[in-house]
Amino acid sequence: MAARTEPETQTGTDSGIAAVRVRDLTVAFRTPEGDLPAVSHVNLDLFRGQITGLVGESGSGKSTLALSLLNAIPSPGQVIEGSVELGNGGNVLALRGRALRKVRGTDIGYVFQASQNSLNPLKRVGKQLLDVGRSHGERDSRELIRRARDLLDDMGLDATRVLSSYQHELSGGMRQRVGIVFALLLNANVLILDEPTTALDMLSQAQVLEIVRKVHATRHLTTLIISHDISVIGDLCDRMAVMYAGRVVEEGPTASVLATPRHPYTRALLTAMPRITGDIAEARALPGRPPDLSSIPREGCVFQPRCALATPGCLETEPPDTIEDDHRFACFVTAAETR
Amino acid sequence: MITGQGITRTFPGRGSMLRREPVRALRGVDFTIPDHGAVSFIGESGCGKTTLGRILCGFEEFDGGDLIIDGQSMKALSAKDRAPYFRRIQMIHQDPYSALNPTRTIRQILSDPLELRARQTGAATGWVSDRRAELLGLVGLDPDYVLPRYPHMLSGGMRQRVVIARALTVDPQVLVADEAVSMIDVSLRLGILQLLQDLRSKLGVSLLFITHDVATARYLGADGELYVIYRGSVVEQGGTDTIIQHPAHPYTQCLLSAIPVLRGIEQPGKDRLIPLAPLDERSQPPGCLFAPRCPQAAEDCTAAVPELALSGDAVQGSVTHKHACLHPQTRSVVATATA
Amino acid sequence: MSVTASLPPEQLQQALSRSRARSASRWRILVRTPGRVIALAVVIIFTLMALVGPYLYPKNLPINASDIYAPPSLAHPLGTDFAGTDILALIVTGARYVLLAAFIAAVVTLVIGTAAGLGAGYYPRSFGRPIMRVTDFVLAIPGFPLLMVLSTIWSFGSPLQMGLVLGITGWGGIARAVRAQTLSLRERGFVEAARGLGLPGRRVIGTEILPNVAPYVSMNLMIQLTGFIYTEVGLFFLGIVKYSSSNWGVMLNNAVFQADALTNPRSLSYLLSPLICILAITISLVTLANVGDEIFNPRLRRI
Repeated sequence: MAARTEPETQTGTDSGIAAVRVRDLTVAFRTPEGDLPAVSHVNLDLFRGQITGLVGESGSGKSTLALSLLNAIPSPGQVIEGSVELGNGGNVLALRGRALRKVRGTDIGYVFQASQNSLNPLKRVGKQLLDVGRSHGERDSRELIRRARDLLDDMGLDATRVLSSYQHELSGGMRQRVGIVFALLLNANVLILDEPTTALDMLSQAQVLEIVRKVHATRHLTTLIISHDISVIGDLCDRMAVMYAGRVVEEGPTASVLATPRHPYTRALLTAMPRITGDIAEARALPGRPPDLSSIPREGCVFQPRCALATPGCLETEPPDTIEDDHRFACFVTAAETR
Repeated sequence: MITGQGITRTFPGRGSMLRREPVRALRGVDFTIPDHGAVSFIGESGCGKTTLGRILCGFEEFDGGDLIIDGQSMKALSAKDRAPYFRRIQMIHQDPYSALNPTRTIRQILSDPLELRARQTGAATGWVSDRRAELLGLVGLDPDYVLPRYPHMLSGGMRQRVVIARALTVDPQVLVADEAVSMIDVSLRLGILQLLQDLRSKLGVSLLFITHDVATARYLGADGELYVIYRGSVVEQGGTDTIIQHPAHPYTQCLLSAIPVLRGIEQPGKDRLIPLAPLDERSQPPGCLFAPRCPQAAEDCTAAVPELALSGDAVQGSVTHKHACLHPQTRSVVATATA
Repeated sequence: MSVTASLPPEQLQQALSRSRARSASRWRILVRTPGRVIALAVVIIFTLMALVGPYLYPKNLPINASDIYAPPSLAHPLGTDFAGTDILALIVTGARYVLLAAFIAAVVTLVIGTAAGLGAGYYPRSFGRPIMRVTDFVLAIPGFPLLMVLSTIWSFGSPLQMGLVLGITGWGGIARAVRAQTLSLRERGFVEAARGLGLPGRRVIGTEILPNVAPYVSMNLMIQLTGFIYTEVGLFFLGIVKYSSSNWGVMLNNAVFQADALTNPRSLSYLLSPLICILAITISLVTLANVGDEIFNPRLRRI
């Protein structure tokens, strides 16, 4: 997608050149049985000052895509082609060693799920924060603690108590917030949150979303949220992208994508989502199963096996992107619909 | 029909030998699960709803009050005599993975209870495999695909369906779904919810749905009942739709405010309550337990625990709307569809 | 911030296991790597030695006073000992005692330890306490010193005696570990569900809990076998237990203390032969220890 030059809005969101530019990214898992495609030819832009959401079922490739922004794909995954460019740092996928470690942490902060115990159970939280800082060359412990305290206060937590706690003494919601502190400790300006509210109850989820909103605004970050829960994306994000079987099938401003979904998968997702509004009789479960890596169609549209609108043409060629007013989607059939 | 009267449960606390404070998980809960009914328990994590579900299935003892199953008081029976009653109530766990034995195939998992049944009822040979196929068909699974596999070879949604099929092997009257869809992708939840609703209409089982996600409670079928539980007490109860549209208790209003709002297709309720600080399980406030976090707490709220009383709304069919707030305020908190 | 590599995502795992589901079989697990094939071969050879070895030679092995400490040759591939007896014959006939006693000990610890652990873990309130008292007592018994003391009054002529004593004093560890696992498995969803469905206690233990502790137990068994072999060999080597016929431990004792094998190069073969056999069998057992995990845990099967 070409760079856009929109004027700055009143809130100060600058949407000039994207802060993170993913171009034609393709990642596959190399196994003795052949390559299993995890991410295919993905183009995505993340803009400074905007929260972007990435929605997809398990196995859609969204976590792999997020990890590739850090060049941290676990083996046997491998980047086949494509690039991930940061505003200032060049192609992350070409970096190794010290240069790569610098990007991870100081440029990009990654927050794991609360349920993944990514905190060391044997060390207190404060000590781990210091470890993170020191491993990136920050020697000033006082400064690190001060920053940590400020962040924890912003999140409505008792900083003293949290810093001296062990991981198991904190609730899920608190661990998630600590995860965000870790990611922002080194003043990164890109923040990636992987399923930040899965395994949290409704109130904790609302609190975490509020915190992300606040932190994002105060620090003018570029934020990416990954979730299988469209309601979280729909509430929090300015832009959203929908992934299926390793491809971005629809992307655009959230309000536009939700109000006028153009890809059959997005439409199916919205009809299949339990909601507090809307007629429950109209809800339809998604037919079929989420694709597994070995059964993704290699030719034609990846969604075709589950698509109600599929035509014979969908079996042969992959649909190209159609762009309508900053709203991008990949479907032959719906592209022909009159607006 | 199942009735709970004043169910109380206190756990001996954790902590050092010197300062072990007991945790009052349930403080006198009354509820009724009518035949063919659909009841939901809503609340944050730690509110006691899971404990209540486990007590109903016989996995947990209750310290006070009584549980009456089909007219028989459980308090009056010995543990051994209770077993046949509790067998009529089957649990669908939250984690479909840990609910299935990883070392056994689905065929074996389903055959175990069926063979026991066959021996007890003197069924003909072949009954077991017929019934097995029948149950798998009821839950929407293909027996040829599923039977030879181990649990880890199936997706989360499929596993949950196997768990439901297993629960049905003993012809239960009540299915207790404890966060049964929380660990499944949002796009697949509707399938399970509709399955439960189907079973309710086809087989006449009652459903007890324990969840923190109010939106899912809507999908269990018409005339569902909702109980809102806060720290071991029921603070509001009534018809699902009534409570969602006209919540009386401020805690219910907070829970409903926390539901994410989809941009472009929904608008937030105009009186949405701000998310609160995390719950402090150790605090023991006098009077109303919610008072410390309540936006409208008054003097008399800390004097005594408010009773659960009929609200101003009239009786609706067989369901009455009750709440336990001395100073309820009407607030419009739930999102509404954008016209 | 470090991001460590982790297991492939669930999707990948499912895809791989689905495509291989058809060919999973226990035999394949055993021969999956070259190391395991060799280990399996070694174990089979020694087992055969233990079973039929003594039948291949006369009860009293021939001695040849004129041919003592002979170096390896065609007639005596491993040389001869202090009495001119063929070392290869000694090895083959000497396998039985060591391996049989270790096997009996392992079976005894397996049966008693697992039963005790399962019982104590599944019924913690009724059986748990008394069983654990007994277990703690057994754990406190020092096995090796006890055998030393017993050998003053008992000659341990048959491997059954040695095996039983080793077994009865050695089941404490397995019992403890199985109990701990059973306690935690008891709370797992599928065990609760089995109870809720009305399956009787014995059944639940047998079909739900036992298969899930089996990986640990089988690995532990292999390791215990090696421990028992070392204990016996140690007892014989130190000369604490006097035994008339030869076995590997006695050979070691003779080699070091009578034949001066540590300094005399001619009797080196007498020392090395039993030593290498002991090492070979223990390394093979440890290699095969992992097999138990894969056999009993379908998730780990990579075939």
